[in-house]
Amino acid sequence: MKVKQERLEDNKVRLDVEVDIDEVNEALEQAYKKVRKDVSLPGFRKGKVPRKVLEANYGKEVLHKDALDILVPANYQKALEETDIEPISEPEFEDFYIAEDEPATFTAVVEVKPEVELGEYTGYDVEREDVDVTEEDIMAVLNKQQEEQSQLVSVDRNEVQEGDHVIIDFEGFVNGESFPGGSAEEFTLEIGSGQFIPGFEEQLIGKEVSDEPYEVEVTFPEEYQAEDLAGQDAVFEVTIKEIKIKELPELDDEFAKDVSDFDTLDEYKEDIENRLQEQRDNQAARNLENEIIGKVSEAAKVEVSEQLIQNELDQMMQQMAQNLQQQGINMEDYFKYMGSSQEEWREENREQAADRAKNNLVLEAIAEEEGIEVSDEEIDEKLEEIAEANDQDFEQVKAFMQMQGQLESLRDGLKMEKTIDFLIENN
Amino acid sequence: MDNARDIIISPLISEKTMELMEENNAYTFKVVKKANKIQIRQAIEEIFNVKVVKVNTMNMKGKRKRLGFTEGKRPDWKKAIIKLVDGDSIEIFEGM
Repeated sequence: MKVKQERLEDNKVRLDVEVDIDEVNEALEQAYKKVRKDVSLPGFRKGKVPRKVLEANYGKEVLHKDALDILVPANYQKALEETDIEPISEPEFEDFYIAEDEPATFTAVVEVKPEVELGEYTGYDVEREDVDVTEEDIMAVLNKQQEEQSQLVSVDRNEVQEGDHVIIDFEGFVNGESFPGGSAEEFTLEIGSGQFIPGFEEQLIGKEVSDEPYEVEVTFPEEYQAEDLAGQDAVFEVTIKEIKIKELPELDDEFAKDVSDFDTLDEYKEDIENRLQEQRDNQAARNLENEIIGKVSEAAKVEVSEQLIQNELDQMMQQMAQNLQQQGINMEDYFKYMGSSQEEWREENREQAADRAKNNLVLEAIAEEEGIEVSDEEIDEKLEEIAEANDQDFEQVKAFMQMQGQLESLRDGLKMEKTIDFLIENN
Repeated sequence: MDNARDIIISPLISEKTMELMEENNAYTFKVVKKANKIQIRQAIEEIFNVKVVKVNTMNMKGKRKRLGFTEGKRPDWKKAIIKLVDGDSIEIFEGM
């Protein structure tokens, strides 16, 4: 096989491929074997028609299309390997020529990654944010848990105060008539929560528990969701049956035992601190990465083509589908539920995809510029990590990844990581 | 019947005759019913410019065909199997 490449505009490359005679004849023979199965002619049973007779009847061209179907994809792959071209689009084949005992030719036009004109990519003064976890942060976590663990308890008090939870029966009237949704029994209302219409909760403050209903006069706000009630004056007959308050559990060792695996509060606090610290460190590291990549990417010049954006969108979509799958959601259902569609989603995420595509190209260019490579040992190391994380055998994982063709993407991923590390070190 | 092309009607191509061609260098034709082996030999030699070793002929009965109640019969015909000397061949696929 011979191949010539020629660069066209718009980051396209044309490959002129010439296939050897032997291979052409082999392909024609294969094509005949395939076609033979379905052909019968007078004097011949189905599948018994000799090639000569077949060609004499239908013309030599019958086999050409099938032979090309065999030849073109295989030789296209070989041509890619020979020329070291990494296409980002499906190839467009044209200008086929094939005949017995002659070399076959065809051309393929593919889009390749655009040239990246790198700008400055070192020397940016980017510092990692210092994120220390303070006592306050820890307390915030604890307080939230306290809240979750709280219980409502009855109190020996007759007068309603702000913050109390009162249990009430109520019935509301507009113009002397009750209305749907305007009454309830044994309803628990937190005073000051703003759950009811303005004025309602405030009027209960200072009232006492009794069997006699109080009258609460309120006006529905102008923008109330039930239109026929909006702006109307209403009278509620409210019976306060019981007052309860929220009791927060003490922050002590006992509490720590309840909500965590630790025996003492101090241990638990330390654990929270560690976790928060880790979270924030990760966040800070990611922010740093993004900032550097953003700056470097901005300094570089790349023409991101439509094809690249679409590829990136495909990838993002795949990732999302995978995430959804893990949650047991089907992607179609998801879009239906969100009242959206794949097309809309693609439209919305175009810009992000373009950015991502650009970032990737820039990182690749830097890796090349700096000679950043990933060795087989490093891949093995990573595989070992994966194997350990999944409790599987190293060899098994490797064989599986190889079978799935994921080793290359793993290598690319590691290369990206190394490039990012490089950028962080040099900025 | 003097013309060679009036004697030979058409080549007969089937799985069986293909096998004869390959294994015996013998070619099979439909010929005019009244032709004899000598006429056939001469006709073949004239048309294809080859040397004939042997001519075998046989009379074939036309197939009975029926269409509803009316029964018909295809005409009887003569088949000739012609063996050529080694090295000679007939290219009979053109314009089949």
